[in-house]
Amino acid sequence: MDFPFPEYNLQYMLPEIFLFVWALVVISFDLLSKRNNGSTTGYLTLFGIAIAGLLLGLVGNGKGFGKMFINDNVAVFFKVIFLGAAFMAVGSSFGVMQKKIVNHRGEFYALLLMSTTGMMFLSSSQELLSIYLGLELTTIPLFAMAAFYKDDKLSVESGIKYFIIGAFSSALMVYGMSFLYGLTGSTDLAQMKVAFFKTHLQFGDMGIVMILALIMLAAGIGFKLALPPFHQWAPDVYEGAPTPVAAFLSVGSKGAGLIAFAKIFVDGLYAYHSPDMAPNDWGMLIGILAIAAMVLGNVLAIRQTNIKRMLAYSSIAQAGYIMIGMVALSASGIASVGFYLFIYLFANMGAFAAVAVFEDMTGSCQIKSYAGLARTSPFFSAVMAVFLLSLAGIPPLAGFLAKYYVFASVVDVAQRSADSSWMYWMVGIGLLTTVFALFYYANVIKVMFFSPETSPYKVEAPLPAKAVLAIGVIGVLLFGLYPEPILQFATGISSSLHFMP
Amino acid sequence: MESQILTLVTFFPLVGIVLIMLAPKDRPDTVKGVALLVSFVTMLLSFWLYSMFDKVANGMQFELNVPWITSFGINYHVGIDGISLLMIVLTAILTVLSILASWNSITERVKGYFISMLLLQIGMIGVFCALDLFMFYIFWEVMLIPMYFIIGIWGGARRVYAAIKFVLFTMFGSLLMLVAILYVVSAYHGFANEYSFDILKLATMPIAYKPQLLLFGAFALAFAIKVPLFPFHTWLPDAHVEAPTAGSVILAGVLLKMGTYGFLRICIPMFPQATITYLPYICVLALIAIIYGALVAMVQRDVKSLVAFSSVSHMGFVMLGIFALNLQGVEGAVLQMINHGVSTGALFLLVGMIYERRHTRLISELGGIVKVMPVFATLFMIVTLSSIGLPLTNGFVGEFLILIGTFKANMTYGVIATSGVILSACYMLWMYQRVIFGKITNPENEKLIDLDWREKGILIPLVVLIFWIGIYPKPFLDRIEPAVRSLLTQTNMVREDIGEPAFTVETDGSLSGMTAEDVNLNSKGEVHE
Amino acid sequence: MFYYLALAAMLFSIGLFGVLTRRNTIGILMSLELMFNAANINFVAFNKFIVTDGLTGQIFAMFIIAVAAAEAALGLAIVLLIYRNWRGIDTEHYNVMKW
Repeated sequence: MDFPFPEYNLQYMLPEIFLFVWALVVISFDLLSKRNNGSTTGYLTLFGIAIAGLLLGLVGNGKGFGKMFINDNVAVFFKVIFLGAAFMAVGSSFGVMQKKIVNHRGEFYALLLMSTTGMMFLSSSQELLSIYLGLELTTIPLFAMAAFYKDDKLSVESGIKYFIIGAFSSALMVYGMSFLYGLTGSTDLAQMKVAFFKTHLQFGDMGIVMILALIMLAAGIGFKLALPPFHQWAPDVYEGAPTPVAAFLSVGSKGAGLIAFAKIFVDGLYAYHSPDMAPNDWGMLIGILAIAAMVLGNVLAIRQTNIKRMLAYSSIAQAGYIMIGMVALSASGIASVGFYLFIYLFANMGAFAAVAVFEDMTGSCQIKSYAGLARTSPFFSAVMAVFLLSLAGIPPLAGFLAKYYVFASVVDVAQRSADSSWMYWMVGIGLLTTVFALFYYANVIKVMFFSPETSPYKVEAPLPAKAVLAIGVIGVLLFGLYPEPILQFATGISSSLHFMP
Repeated sequence: MESQILTLVTFFPLVGIVLIMLAPKDRPDTVKGVALLVSFVTMLLSFWLYSMFDKVANGMQFELNVPWITSFGINYHVGIDGISLLMIVLTAILTVLSILASWNSITERVKGYFISMLLLQIGMIGVFCALDLFMFYIFWEVMLIPMYFIIGIWGGARRVYAAIKFVLFTMFGSLLMLVAILYVVSAYHGFANEYSFDILKLATMPIAYKPQLLLFGAFALAFAIKVPLFPFHTWLPDAHVEAPTAGSVILAGVLLKMGTYGFLRICIPMFPQATITYLPYICVLALIAIIYGALVAMVQRDVKSLVAFSSVSHMGFVMLGIFALNLQGVEGAVLQMINHGVSTGALFLLVGMIYERRHTRLISELGGIVKVMPVFATLFMIVTLSSIGLPLTNGFVGEFLILIGTFKANMTYGVIATSGVILSACYMLWMYQRVIFGKITNPENEKLIDLDWREKGILIPLVVLIFWIGIYPKPFLDRIEPAVRSLLTQTNMVREDIGEPAFTVETDGSLSGMTAEDVNLNSKGEVHE
Repeated sequence: MFYYLALAAMLFSIGLFGVLTRRNTIGILMSLELMFNAANINFVAFNKFIVTDGLTGQIFAMFIIAVAAAEAALGLAIVLLIYRNWRGIDTEHYNVMKW
């Protein structure tokens, strides 16, 4: 193929470009066609995402756009996750479209596609400016999507909360970035790493400005990840936003935050880890955040009565588990983060899709309205139970392997380094919190299966939602029993992050 | 074929699960038939396994070791020795019987119930086959979910509470186990520079004393909760009382054995030094369990919770036998694991049968049943006596061997444990008297119908086993012995290392020339030698 | 150079303070803009005085201005929605959800 500006190697950006164009196609199609055109727009979007995935497989690894855009193993891995999340979110949105968003389907899907483009762009960025742009392109459409029910107070409230928090965290981040730029003289991560390493060798210390800048960056990304103490927005936003949006937020936006974190803190700041790869205070700081997320998320989830809020707290806790993998600051740690997110995609999107199906039918997200559902819709309840149990980390479902990998990578590092008893504590506490997690996940199962009364509802899901549920269940079961391909895929990640300056 | 047979036995119930899923919803009899047939075939397969087992060979048999998750070094590694062989056979038998026992009592959500039962069976047999720590853990957890549903959906009045308590207790234990597994595997990576979960390989790794203590503690806690050892037993009575009959049978018959099996397969071989250190504490806890379980059982008003507490007491015996760490003790413990499965399983079945008729299990509501249900009373008698450990029944052989082992290891423990035997006779017989004999005080008891053919068919195999093991336990002991012997050789070496007197393992291949018949006769006071 | 950085820091602090204390949603939006502009001043100042080769800092600032404008537009749209729903744009209105 002949591309314009051959020196920029634009072909590596093909999936992103295609997705962006497709967003425009979708919105124009919706404007030009009749007002209520059934589900065509949705299918069109699904088709576009599938094509983008195909293109992603075709373009292969390489650098484009100077050094600002790079398609390596990390990027491809995360892009697959983002496309998967978008696909499942769209698939679970058909019911919502039918009921609540009849007249603005095109906008909804276009925003979702743009947000996905932002995430994919972010995964490929090697440089502060493109990281910033990617994050903004990810979140700005999401603000609009959270407030998409224009006359629903909850939705608007969640939109404004998400907006203020999101903009605030971007402002913090960008202010932190400006100091990093001033201190290292570059926005390119690779050059920054070299500069860090030099100052590290010279002074052995970061200096107060550096620490301040890093804290601001960490706080900014912490907001995106909903890590405590920056987590308060998550439950409100998840509860108020349309369910497919909440689902997309929980996986996509979290993945975007994770990849930004990995790029800046694990890869970029590698010079500030001890040379022998033993995690130091920096790792411990991440560890404390992770523990806080796990404890807070799991404990607060117990008392929730709204299933979306419960899933919101659970996703805070899941972010904690994922961050455990970051603590290791090792190749297997990063691989475990990727693997966790991949599995989380299936389980969490599946659970949200099930919630969306139920909400479309009954209009309720209260846990208690699930009572006795197993009698009328045994298959649906079983599927929901599989997702919840996978989130809880019960073998042989894939969620268990994901948790296992994350913790194993930390224990591995702990064995190799001296003075690592805090890591064992962290693993211990982390595993202990999964008992709490099991408690609230099992509570939903209890309500569905053990309740004496028979539910008045019989779940009927539209075809795309069924497909999403099926994808989720198959993913959770299949990768629980045969995770090897994904593990190989995830191990490839670390080869793209260069652990030496 | 040899190496695939274990896989076949483990996963054959999967066929049943698939068939049941496909079966129409309004044909419960088809579902039951499929479940019964599949479990029956599984039982036949396990018998075949038994017949093919080479009883003189050392080490694992029918081994199969293929890579599974290579990135983690996890293999699909199965294999059995005598201990696991007997547990598998027991599991297979009890599953068939419990499916038969739930024939009439399960009326709603039949499909789900039998799927859970078969899934449970996969988990149970899988645990006994697994030689890979990861597989062991997975199967261990796989049992959790079906049991949760069995208790929670088809259980009694407080079933939800019991189910959640069961799950949280077990989960807590297994998470500790997971931490320990993480540590061991990672330590093995440092030792041999490869990731491996192979139980046999891991046991060859020397672990420093201090981590050994912690690791043993983590594994032991997980297993002790399952056993359940005092003071971790509180989930058991709730779970037993609320579970449906078949659930109780499986729970008492097999699930509790997972704990003791874990001690034998993992704790003792992997952490021999820690075993020696912890030994007195565990023995004391086992003794407390024996006495406490018996005393609490005595004051129970519900027959089922009485049997549940008697389980605590009996499992205390098993623990004591294992931690006597000599041939008689451990062999007795393994045999007693089987015995307890058989006789307590039978007790729960009997209680279930009376409950189906009277819809109560309160001792005060029953009484005088012998007049209306003579066959029931007879079978109940046999099972009760077996549970007490009367000579000629299975309970006697096991308890006697355990007591010999305990006396050899520590006189005081032996004396206290013996008093537990007496207590067990007290509460069982007293219960039997109140339930079966006496006047019919409650008019409803007059109308009771005696056992039908199905129920007799459930109980008779167990009664046969009771007498078989009681009179001629040699085939079982022969199969247990090589496994126990290799276990003890290892721990004895450690004992010598740290300067403790090692107990001699007789090398002539018998228990000081005693066969079980001799044991029987001796106890009756007839001088035999 | 110091003066530029100090100005930026002051702007940033004012913005931060504003976001945390303002009751009026428009006020919060304006404070957010201050924070973004503090970053802009930093970038430009660094580019001028420290990293003299290339224009990365200035380009970064341009991008921030553009993105912040987009963000503000969207924010105002949501504020409009709030006004429609509650007839007021104070923060205490939209506090329906509580944990």
